[in-house]
Amino acid sequence: MLKRLLYLAGALGLLIGLWGLYDRFAFGHMHANYGSYVVWGLWVALYMFFAGVATGAFMVATLDLLFELPLFRGSGRLALWGSLVTMPAGLLAIGLDLGHIDRIWKVYLQPNVNSVMAQLVWGYSIFLAIVIISLWLSLRPQPSRWLKPVMVAGLVLAIFLSGGIGALLGVNQSRVSWHVSNLPTQFPVFNLTAGVALLLIAIGWFGPLHDPRRAHQLRALSLALVVLLLVKGYYLWSDVSQALYQNSSHGAAAIHLVLFGPYGWAFWLLQLGIGMLLPLIVLTMPAGRHGFTAGLMGVCVLIGLAVARANIIFPALSLPELQGLGDAFHGPHLSFTYSPSLMEWAVTAGIVGAATIGFLFGTDRLPLFPPASVATGTAD
Amino acid sequence: MSRHPTIPLTPVSRRSFLGALAAGAGALAAACAEAAPASGRTTNTIDVLTPEEALVAYEGEIARLRAAKLTGTPVDQLERMRADLLRALTKPVAERRWVMVIDLRACVGCHGCTIACVAENKLPPGVVYRPVLEEEIGQYPHVTRRFVPRPCMQCDNPPCTGVCPVSATYTNEHGVVAVDYEQCIGCRACIAACPYGARTFDFGYTYTADTTDSGVVVGADQAARYEHASTFEYGKVHARSDLHGSPVGNVRKCHFCMHRVLNGQLPACVTTCIGRATFFGDANDPDSLVSELIAKPNVMRLKEELGTEPRVYYLQ
Repeated sequence: MLKRLLYLAGALGLLIGLWGLYDRFAFGHMHANYGSYVVWGLWVALYMFFAGVATGAFMVATLDLLFELPLFRGSGRLALWGSLVTMPAGLLAIGLDLGHIDRIWKVYLQPNVNSVMAQLVWGYSIFLAIVIISLWLSLRPQPSRWLKPVMVAGLVLAIFLSGGIGALLGVNQSRVSWHVSNLPTQFPVFNLTAGVALLLIAIGWFGPLHDPRRAHQLRALSLALVVLLLVKGYYLWSDVSQALYQNSSHGAAAIHLVLFGPYGWAFWLLQLGIGMLLPLIVLTMPAGRHGFTAGLMGVCVLIGLAVARANIIFPALSLPELQGLGDAFHGPHLSFTYSPSLMEWAVTAGIVGAATIGFLFGTDRLPLFPPASVATGTAD
Repeated sequence: MSRHPTIPLTPVSRRSFLGALAAGAGALAAACAEAAPASGRTTNTIDVLTPEEALVAYEGEIARLRAAKLTGTPVDQLERMRADLLRALTKPVAERRWVMVIDLRACVGCHGCTIACVAENKLPPGVVYRPVLEEEIGQYPHVTRRFVPRPCMQCDNPPCTGVCPVSATYTNEHGVVAVDYEQCIGCRACIAACPYGARTFDFGYTYTADTTDSGVVVGADQAARYEHASTFEYGKVHARSDLHGSPVGNVRKCHFCMHRVLNGQLPACVTTCIGRATFFGDANDPDSLVSELIAKPNVMRLKEELGTEPRVYYLQ
C-alpha cells in the first residue's frame, strides 16, 4: 500500500515535472526566480541535497561491502542503488540550472582544473562510474576480488566530493557566512546523515520482514542517526553562535535571515523541528523501533537536510555585496529576495518523483535485499 | 583637484614606437587567436587601431590641442584623456595599464553613464554593467547623498576567474577581465564569487516582448531591429539572434569598453559623464591624467581588504 502510494506520488511529481521541463527548455531561465543577485536557487539546493544523499549512501554501503560488518550484511546493494538513483537526480538539477547545458562537454574537454566546480564535475562522473561498477560487482553471483578496491576508491571520492560541496561555497571569500574553514568539513557529516536516513527509510519501509537482522539494523541506524543529528546540531550551534556573537558582520546578517527572515518558519519548523528534534525524540523512544516510524523519521531527517541546503545558499546570496546595489538599477531578476517560481517547483517535483520511482523500481526488480535463504540466519 | 587639467604634450619616442610596432604585430596575432574561440566557432571581429594609426591620430590630436593652447581655447578633460589614450595605444600592449578613476565629489547621480553603457553594449533588460549606487548620509535636515558608480573593478587578483569551470572568464592581455561568450556554460559561479556584484546574467529578455502587436506601433520596426542589434564587446560581433544563443544564458560584465578603447575612443561611461567624474587612461604613463589622479592622497578602492587589487579608483 505504502509503495503504491509512493509510486503514485512519484508519477504525479514526474507529470508536473514534464510541464516544468517544457517551460525550462522553451523559455530558458526566464520563468525562474533566481537572478543576477540571488544567483543560485532551488535547483542548486536540490543538487547539493541529492549529491549529499548519493555520497552518504555510498559511505553507508561500505559498512557491508568494504568493512563487512555482520550487522549490515545484505544492506550494501540497497545503499548503492540509492546512491545510483540520487546522483543523476542531483546532476540533472544542476544541469538544468546551467545557462548553456549544451556546453557541459567543455567541463570535460576544456576544464579549468583549479576550479572547484570543474573538480566536482569530474569527481561526480568518476563517482557515478564507481557506483555502477560496484553495484554490478556486488550483484554478481560470485564474489569479486575487485569489489573492495572499487569500494575504497568510492569511499575516498565520496568524502572528497562531500567536502567539495562545502568548498564550492567556502572559496568565495566575500561571502562571510560561507567562507569559514569548517564548512567543507561539515558536509561529509551532513551527507553521512543523509545516507543513514535513506537506508533507514529503505529498510524500515521495504526491508524483508523475514530478515532477523532487520530489527537490529534499524536500531543501529536509528542510533547512528541520533549521534549524527547531535553532531549536526553542534555544527549548527557553532555556526549560529559565532556569527551572532559580534552581531555586526555579513555572516550575522545571513544568520538573522535564516532565523528571522521571511523563511524563518522553514528553519524553525522544518529544519530544526521536523528535521532534527522530532527524529531525536522519536528514535530514542521505543516507538522509534517500529519499521514504519523509523522510516518516517528518515524522511523527516531528509526534509530537514534539504531545507538546510536551502538555508545555506539563499540567505548568503540575499545580502547585497555593496550597500544600495539592490536599488541602483531595476529590471527582471535584479532582486535580493528569492522564492522559487512555479516552474522551479515543477521541475523539482519531477526530479524528486523520478528519483522516487527509480528507487522503488530497484527495490522491486533488482535483488537488492538478501534472499530469504540467506536472511534467515541469526543476527550477529 | 583641478577641474581644468594641464595638457602635457608628450612626444612619442622613436624607440618606444618601434617597440610598439613589433609588440603590436604580436598583439594583433594574439587578438586574432583570441577571436577564434575554444569551441572552434568563427566569430566576426572588429578592426582596432594599429600603432601607426594610433600615432597619426595622436599627432593630429596633439596639434589640435597645441593650437587650442595657443589661442587660449578651453580644453575639456575628455580631450586630454583622448590624447593620453592615443599615446598609450602607440605603446606595446604589455606596457599599458588601463585604470578608471571616479571622482565621487563630482558625480551628480544622473545615471548617464549607466544609460550610455546600456546603449553602447545593447544591454537587454536585467543586465547592467555600471549601476550608480546611492547612499544617504545623515538624518533630516542634515542629509547628504553620495553617488557611487560601480563598473567592474577589473581586479588584478580577480576572485571570479579561478572559480570558472571552463576558463570562460579570464584576465586578457589588456588587463581586463573578459568573458568568452562561446565558452561560458552559464553556471554563475563567477557572480557568486564577485565581491562587488559586478556581474549579471542574461536571461534573454527583450524590451519589446510584452509590447502590443495590434494596430500601428510607431517605431516598432526600429525597436525590433535594436533588440537584435550586434554588440562589439571584446572586439567581436555578437548578434542577439534568439533566446538560446549567446550572449543569452551567459554571464555579462563591464569590460572597460575595450572595443572602443582599442579604436582610440574613451569608454562610453566616460564620454557621457556630465559631471566629468569618470576618468580613464593608462596608469603606466606618468603624464596621463589618471596617473596624476591616483597619486592624490584622497584616493581609495572598494573592499581593498580582500586583496583583489581593483583597477577602479575612487576620489573622495
